[in-house]
Amino acid sequence: MNKGLRGLEEKVIRQDLCAVCGACLSLCPYLRSWKGRVVKLDDCSLEEGRCFAYCPRTEVDLDSVYRRIFGKGYEEIEIGPFRKIMMARATDPRIIKKAQTGGVVSALFEFAFREGMIQAGVLTPRDEALLPEGKLIKNRVQIIGCAGSSYVSGPTLEALNRGPWKEKERIGIVGLPCQVLALARMRASKLEKKTPIDRVDLVIGLFCTWALEYKPFMAFLKERVNGLSIKKLNITPPPERILEVTAAHRLVRIPVDDIRSFIRASCRVCLDMTAELSDISVGTVEGKEGWNTVIVRTAIGENLLKRARRAGIIEARSLPKDNLKHLIEASLLKKRRALDMLKERGGIEKNYLNLSADLVERIVSASGDPKP
Amino acid sequence: MTSIAQNAPGKTVLLMGNEAIARGAIEAGVKVCAAYPGNPSSEIVGVLARAAGELGLHVEWSVNEKVALEVAAAASFAGLRGLCTMKQNGLNVASDFLLNLNLTGTKGGLVLVVADDPSGVSSTNEQDSRIYAKLGDLPLLEPASFQEAKEMTRTAFEISEQLGLPVLIRSVTRVSHARGNVSLGEIPGSSAIPRFDTSRPRLAFPPVPNHKVLHEKLDKAREMFETSPFNLYRGPEKPELLVVTSGSGYMYSLEALVNLGLQERVGILKIGTSWPLPEKIVLENLRRADRILFVEEVDPFLENNVKETYAQNCFTLGLKSFFGKASKRVPEVGELNPEVVIHAIQKLVHVSYEPRPADYTERVREAALDLVPVRALGFCAGCPHRATYWAVKTALALDGRDGFVLGDIGCYGLGMGPSGFGQMKTIHAMGSGAGLACGFGQLDRFGLEQPIVAVCGDSTFYHAAMPALVNARYNGSNFLLLLLDNSATAMTGFQPHPGTGSTAIGETAPVVDLKAVCKAFGARVEVVDPFNVSATVEAILRLLEDKRGVRALILQRECALVSAKKQKRPYRVKVNQNRCLGESCGCNRLCTRIFKCPGLMWDTATGKARIDEAICTGCGVCAEICPASAIQKEVA
Repeated sequence: MNKGLRGLEEKVIRQDLCAVCGACLSLCPYLRSWKGRVVKLDDCSLEEGRCFAYCPRTEVDLDSVYRRIFGKGYEEIEIGPFRKIMMARATDPRIIKKAQTGGVVSALFEFAFREGMIQAGVLTPRDEALLPEGKLIKNRVQIIGCAGSSYVSGPTLEALNRGPWKEKERIGIVGLPCQVLALARMRASKLEKKTPIDRVDLVIGLFCTWALEYKPFMAFLKERVNGLSIKKLNITPPPERILEVTAAHRLVRIPVDDIRSFIRASCRVCLDMTAELSDISVGTVEGKEGWNTVIVRTAIGENLLKRARRAGIIEARSLPKDNLKHLIEASLLKKRRALDMLKERGGIEKNYLNLSADLVERIVSASGDPKP
Repeated sequence: MTSIAQNAPGKTVLLMGNEAIARGAIEAGVKVCAAYPGNPSSEIVGVLARAAGELGLHVEWSVNEKVALEVAAAASFAGLRGLCTMKQNGLNVASDFLLNLNLTGTKGGLVLVVADDPSGVSSTNEQDSRIYAKLGDLPLLEPASFQEAKEMTRTAFEISEQLGLPVLIRSVTRVSHARGNVSLGEIPGSSAIPRFDTSRPRLAFPPVPNHKVLHEKLDKAREMFETSPFNLYRGPEKPELLVVTSGSGYMYSLEALVNLGLQERVGILKIGTSWPLPEKIVLENLRRADRILFVEEVDPFLENNVKETYAQNCFTLGLKSFFGKASKRVPEVGELNPEVVIHAIQKLVHVSYEPRPADYTERVREAALDLVPVRALGFCAGCPHRATYWAVKTALALDGRDGFVLGDIGCYGLGMGPSGFGQMKTIHAMGSGAGLACGFGQLDRFGLEQPIVAVCGDSTFYHAAMPALVNARYNGSNFLLLLLDNSATAMTGFQPHPGTGSTAIGETAPVVDLKAVCKAFGARVEVVDPFNVSATVEAILRLLEDKRGVRALILQRECALVSAKKQKRPYRVKVNQNRCLGESCGCNRLCTRIFKCPGLMWDTATGKARIDEAICTGCGVCAEICPASAIQKEVA
């Protein structure tokens, strides 16, 4: 027995730990998202609920979840299980122009559609107010409009739960680390499923260091750009770390340190920077503008990337050693900070992680050197 | 011909107390009747409205009690007889005018009937209106029976004309709403042509000489009351205990003595002219006994006045023991009944009497369970207010700033309970929701971040919320006013009001347009149908975000009880049993556990929801909230 909505409210919503992934939404009349928050509308008396079971911030046994997805436990502590790591970029200039970085995610997603690997999908565009929302994708043309980021997490999985899906549609999803964890928990759950999780055939994960709290961040931005309408947000890679805001025809540059106070509390307890529970994870390569880091994790991911390269959709190179070292260091840093935060909040077990002391010790003492 | 208007002197008819009061006014030749509805007073002007045509009366539902009293007073100033009725809260509204009218005096007979609601069965408060008679130096009568209700009303007009003062009649629920035999009197013919005597202006100023004149009138009233047939003594020459009572307390006391078999041992002094107190009658009867018990409803009005009179004369009267509310022999609050009076008398004369077995109340409750379905105090099936509060609850939760609802007087006052999902957080007087919102809406400058929402019905808006809206605009207050426009004064019995397009007597009237009024006052106005739940939620959220001044959202949907009389149900609603999720994850009985429209039933045998076809009004709102789309509506 999990603890149902009462447990979710006590352990997640009231602790400000909700990641707004959307996994609990459209399953239940008592939960709704509004402007970057998940809101409980009424009490539910059930002792067990999918809301609690799917949530990436309720008690979770990472070992068993990783075993369900990869056939082995939570062992590869640096950046999760992988088959290949490389740097890549899309070749289609139409995609590159719109993309946040190298356009790999949009290109792979379009390619998966074209090849018939998936017939439908869920992506996360932003509305005019930069609020991310889950969107059903039923054809390739819709994909490119969803590219980009506003550094705010949105309830992507709400759209997956909501549908509607046609009987035979295989579904692809692009998600943040919290969302791919929720997807893995949906797959692993023994509760009755009314979600179409069994038809999700492709999960592309996005690297994520943190996401921002929608309302205060937007209020801050509005003030900084004098109310002009914002076209694009981009954070330049380290060491510079500047938030570039394209508003009307102006470019406003804001140091990332100025927006750190808007980082969601939920992100501070997250162990996952590289979206470990996906088929293929995509991020930015430091110091190589226009290139994505790509971590291939499953056979599905490997197959997709191989075919996309062969078709000339993706151009790929090996990732330089230094970049890999930085990636691992950054990933481990996020894990250590999250463990510290969890301890500060009253202990790892009390919060939500079921991780052995041995694993915790390994994370704390691991070095950033890539394995031979 | 309505029975109330039949000119059949000597005939005995069964009348409700309020009808008897109305008949008394008719027999007095009343010409102008004005009121604002409110239980337990509403039927008086309700029945007069129905008889208005054949009797040639002007009967109106005024926008509020103060205006109603002013309308009736104008008739009096012009030499006609005028009647004004209201409930206890209404007298508070009318009191400002009343406490000047006492100084200017009246010409044609003017009678103000106030029906009090002991225990506040259909009120927000429990109030004894008699105190206003003392406050305003005005004569006060209290009927105890149906016949007396009629006779007192008729006589009150005469007293009013003899004194040149308005006369108060105080009724209570059990006098106003019970029925009994009443012997009819004659209905007089036509009266004089009204004319305002400009040589006799009605000016309260200067107050001091006018106040003196008022006291002289009161002395005259006292003198008249010494011989009034409404005051009487029943019992032995020297009783062991003297019960001093008025109004409903008289009937309860009689019943108590019969039940206890004490008619020969205990006496009853019934006072019908409660203010000014007929001192001679009181002193004369106090001499009969050394132990005095007061039986009256709500406050110790009679008790304190009699004690005052006694104190003035204690040397000649000797020592007395007084029992009543002050000594807590009679409950200080709540409605009386014969049992309460029996209890009080029995303890004072030491007789044992068990009126009922100890577990009587419990057994009645159990027996009733088999006969009456258990239903919470809440909105009717298909009530637009339930849909409104559902939207309010959803919008305030989504908004997330701990916004709250300031309530007002009307059916929607039930919004404080489960039927309105506990959304309403204050309730006071007519228009107080908007008034409080004016104040809360200024506190943002001190750091208050919660959104402010006031609710107000259409009739309540015209009654007392309009000044608050003007104030909000003028003083720049920030809040959202939800106008629950159900096109009825529903709670008091569907009386028409300025927005309904008809008058008290059923004639067509120009509609005072809510939206136009709000706009004219400078509020930003939107209109929405609360049965469209998602549109209503969106509208509320949008208007909560916009903090520029006062915003009004008119939630327009006719009262389900009014609609049901006019048209058949718009939808046929059913529950697809295969789709209904029942208690499983994904629903957990949202419709019967949270939404709780009485038209929805939970079938424990199947673990699914069903529609109670006998009750369902076919509004279709539950179809919108059902998470599994199991509740389906088809155009009927």
